[in-house]
Amino acid sequence: MTLLSPIFWVQAVALAISQIWANKVRSMLTALGIIVGVASVTAVIAALSGLKSRVLTEFESFGANRLLIFPDRPDNAPRNLYPWEEVRLKERELVELSQSCPSLRTLTPITSVGASVQYADTLLDGSTITGIWPAWHEAENRAVIAGRPFNGIDERERRQVCLINEEAAGELKLPRDPVGEHILLGGRRFLVIGVVETVQQAMFGMNTSSAEIFVPFSVAAAMQDRTFFFRIVAMVKSPDVAEEAKSEVRFVLRRMRGLRGSDPDTFAVAAIDQFIEQFKALAAGITAVAGGIVGVSLLVGGIGIMNIMLVAVSERTREIGLRKAVGATPLAILSQFLLEAVTLCLLGGIVGLLCGQFLAFVISSIPNAGLEEASIPGWAVAMAFGFSGGVGVLFGMFPAIKASRLDPIEALRHE
Amino acid sequence: MIIEARGLTRLYRVGVETIHALRGVDLDLEANEMVAVMGSSGSGKSTLMNILGCLDRPTAGTYRLDGRLVSAMGATELANVRNERIGFVFQSFELLPRLSALANVELPLIYARGGGWWGTRRRKARRVLERVGLADRMHHRPNQLSGGQKQRVAIARALLSNPAILMADEPTGNLDSTTTNEIMSLFAELHAEGQTIVIVTHENDVAACCRRVLRLRDGQVESDLPIAEDPASPQYWSQRTGQAIASGGGVSAEGPSA
Repeated sequence: MTLLSPIFWVQAVALAISQIWANKVRSMLTALGIIVGVASVTAVIAALSGLKSRVLTEFESFGANRLLIFPDRPDNAPRNLYPWEEVRLKERELVELSQSCPSLRTLTPITSVGASVQYADTLLDGSTITGIWPAWHEAENRAVIAGRPFNGIDERERRQVCLINEEAAGELKLPRDPVGEHILLGGRRFLVIGVVETVQQAMFGMNTSSAEIFVPFSVAAAMQDRTFFFRIVAMVKSPDVAEEAKSEVRFVLRRMRGLRGSDPDTFAVAAIDQFIEQFKALAAGITAVAGGIVGVSLLVGGIGIMNIMLVAVSERTREIGLRKAVGATPLAILSQFLLEAVTLCLLGGIVGLLCGQFLAFVISSIPNAGLEEASIPGWAVAMAFGFSGGVGVLFGMFPAIKASRLDPIEALRHE
Repeated sequence: MIIEARGLTRLYRVGVETIHALRGVDLDLEANEMVAVMGSSGSGKSTLMNILGCLDRPTAGTYRLDGRLVSAMGATELANVRNERIGFVFQSFELLPRLSALANVELPLIYARGGGWWGTRRRKARRVLERVGLADRMHHRPNQLSGGQKQRVAIARALLSNPAILMADEPTGNLDSTTTNEIMSLFAELHAEGQTIVIVTHENDVAACCRRVLRLRDGQVESDLPIAEDPASPQYWSQRTGQAIASGGGVSAEGPSA
């Protein structure tokens, strides 16, 4: 096979573009199928990407990237087979989890102690005091609005310090600025070091806003039995690695508990990732349907391309004859017509992408639709080009072969 | 020997019928010959021209061009031979309408192995256009050129790759007599410079400019004579006329139809 020179290719591209330009209207109409196909699929993908980023953001704020780890007996297992001492989370497990799970950003234990709370003459019986690590602020996304958050020293030194929320401050009738006051928790004096926001947790219709008092986890542990209960809230680095994080936690805990092979877990790791999975499946479904639509559209467009290329071959039969007479090989003629079809399709793809980009812009500016982040991802751009080029090759092949097989003598005699 | 053809036979199958376009034509052509191929329509002159021009292959027989056996070559090889060894001039010029004269002349180099970059090709194309006397029309499109100028562009294109043979198929068929003379004198000049030329024509005036006349009839060589001995030649006719006048008879009965 004779190799075609680079000159030939440059010339062939120039020729293809000049042919398309010479038949502007015809080329436009021909490429319409490709344009519509590419524009619609990129717009759908853009809308989906907008929807996805919105849904993921929402999940994130609801805690999609949070894992909950708590002791749990296997289903239907007799209690005596799994004594509490074996099932409960232990502090060394907590430490190990915080150190050997690379997909976790941070974690905090949470334990609750019932105790009386008193400030001056105000006594609240049966209040719940929550023991936490400093990481809780991040894990629960709750900052302090006055004073300071917990730090590592509070935890290590088991300082008698506490955080309260505004609700608790109100119920205890603390001064307007409660930081620096002392309150009694279970009869011991604690220094109020900060106030945390009260979060209106309207999640799933429940309003859980109420008085809250927090102490360092080590302090709360010391206030309870040795076999006290706590759970762990962990933050995953990103929702995408939720599964990995779960596996890492399971691996660490099973190893530490000496569980083997078919032994069931004696703990549970839960996340809201089921919703994410469902949503991703839905998005994939919509993408597949859109892909099907665009497939049909590209097929129609491709048939248009084939038709117009057949017309071009027949219109330019004499030209083909002449080119052959001056030494164009069949391969050169084939390449030239194929290149013309591909160029036409790629131009259609570019116009389609521009239209799709415009549609994406329109979608992203629909008020209250929550699709502000609708944009065409890079892979969709690459795919649009790949497909339109592919259509050009596929449907341009037959006319190109036809042109390459023309007999030069008959072609030159063609009227 | 530029052309060495032995027993060229070409059959066409039209339905159940078989048409013998060529029935065993032998032809030898030396370098720097200028041959007219003549014959009535259906005599096989176009078929012979197509085979000699490597556009077609004989059904039987052998054809050597410049010592290479082209009758056994495939389509791609033939294309390369046409590109490198043969220049075509057609009756209807066959210029591409959207290209300038210069770009039309450059066309064969696009398909050449080692056609060179722009500069080289432009230079070659300019040189041949200057050679055919169109230095001032290089950037004109075909529709801005007269018939004679168009044919000069076509000749320039044919000359571009220094072909072993210049094949002209009725090169003056679409031209008036003045232009015909111009084109024929251009061919004569090229011949004087050493170019081998084969012209297919049915005009005696055109054939008269050649050095040798090959007449075909029913796919066979009827006569292959130096111009002086061929009826296309004025010398021939002046001789015959002289004899006829001497014998008191007329010439009209055998006179050339043109």
